Amino acid sequence: MIDQATIEGIIRILFVCIIITAAYIISTRNLLTVVSVYSLQSLTLVGIALALWSLDGSIVLLEIAVITLISKVIIIPYFIATIQEKIRIKRDIEFHYLSPTTSLIISMALMLAIYLAFTRIMKDSPNATGGLIFFGAVLGISLMLMGMMVTFSRKRTITKVLGFLSMENGVLLFGMFVTELPFIIEFLIVIDLIILVILTTILSVGIDSTLEDYHKRLHRFHLLEEEES
Amino acid sequence: MNLDFLLYLAINTLVVIAVSPLFVSLIKKIKARTQGRQGPTVFQTYYTLIKLLKKEVIYSPNSSRIMRVTPLVTMAAILVAALFVPLVFVPEPVGGIGNIILFLYLLALARFFMALAGLDAGSSFGGMGSSREMSISSIIEPTTIIVFAALAFVFKTLNIFDMFTLNASTGSPSPSTLILIGISLFIIIIVETSRIPVDNPETHLELTMIHEGMILEQSGRNLALMELSAAVKMTVLMALLINLIVPFGLMTTLTLAGLLIAIVVFVVKGSILAGIIGLFESSMAKKRFFQLPSLFAMAFFFSTLIIIIAVFS
Repeated sequence: MIDQATIEGIIRILFVCIIITAAYIISTRNLLTVVSVYSLQSLTLVGIALALWSLDGSIVLLEIAVITLISKVIIIPYFIATIQEKIRIKRDIEFHYLSPTTSLIISMALMLAIYLAFTRIMKDSPNATGGLIFFGAVLGISLMLMGMMVTFSRKRTITKVLGFLSMENGVLLFGMFVTELPFIIEFLIVIDLIILVILTTILSVGIDSTLEDYHKRLHRFHLLEEEES
Repeated sequence: MNLDFLLYLAINTLVVIAVSPLFVSLIKKIKARTQGRQGPTVFQTYYTLIKLLKKEVIYSPNSSRIMRVTPLVTMAAILVAALFVPLVFVPEPVGGIGNIILFLYLLALARFFMALAGLDAGSSFGGMGSSREMSISSIIEPTTIIVFAALAFVFKTLNIFDMFTLNASTGSPSPSTLILIGISLFIIIIVETSRIPVDNPETHLELTMIHEGMILEQSGRNLALMELSAAVKMTVLMALLINLIVPFGLMTTLTLAGLLIAIVVFVVKGSILAGIIGLFESSMAKKRFFQLPSLFAMAFFFSTLIIIIAVFS
């Protein structure tokens, strides 16, 4: 069995990987790499879950690792990659309010704010600043907010979905370190279902558009059906 | 100033001058290989420098004294900056040698004179190169300062020598911090040495050149000095990254056998890093000028993160 200090070291390195992937998802314009980076981020989460499992041996963590591996490392990225191949969009260069650089700077401020907030909150708890649980919580929330920023600053639907998925990764990270696990699993599954629904509707109607366009297209699509029937 | 330090001055300068053309050619070789070409030999830069040293220097009739002084000033500034980053052997620091802030200003001095020389000859290429270089450096400078500030926060010292000694002996920081610092420094290397997402060192196409534009009017041994100073600058920044991330092989007490081993180990580590830079360059296209800040923002982001963690925990 590996000792505890080594595993904690590994988890810290995985934290860094998550920060890097999050920053990459925020700032890149190439859609193909966003998908693979998202899949890498999920894989990092699997690694963290496995490391935590080897620390405290709770079987739920192992389950989470398996579920994440199957759904978020393999199925969902494969799904999105297939769509991308069909619609032949390679780049997302339209932004609503924030350019990638601004988003990075804002997310830095967000992380600082969350860091300070959590220092306040966890001041009296035994595992105060510097502990793994503390960093896990801070990173989880930050990842969530960074995902949210991707969701509202990008114009392409496919990047919005990826932002949402990365937000959900943040929830999972936070859940693994802080809250009760069974609840969070339920939450996770529900969100995954929603994503699946979003993906399938988008898949059926066409994703190669901005959200405004997409509404029009949806409308037209229904009209078309009515005319036919 | 003791004997060790005097020896250090000689060893470090000799090693950096001897080794830097090798790294430049290695990067070129790797890039050629990834493009399916044979590429020049790894000693090509040495041959080019020797050839240039034998050639006559020609000045444009419009050029002033700046043009004559610049190669010397640049080379001198970069060589002094090279003394700040021990390549193979770390002695006790003497005086201000090794101070991070002075190191940054020496690099800035070299860059300032290079830009002046670009303007001095009165050719439009040089002016364009200088103006681009200055706009880029005004964006990259804050990032560089933040990255070095992060280094200072992590190691709790402003002296590069102390950082290396700490790193080689006991107090090396956690690997997670090192990864973040490594990425930031890598981006700094790419930008400071005018590599591909920022500038293309191989082209003389007017739309893309930045660094080459500024030295277009140089000739003969002056050109050799400019080329060599660019190579030395790259090696120094590479050495900073290498000796912080993998301090293995770095000497703290001077012995002859240890010195030879340290030089070999450094060349091996440097060649690996040069290979990584070459592959990185081959995998990327040059970025548009206005997209460059997103590259710097990455380094800025990671370094600020390190500072936040270092300050608040």
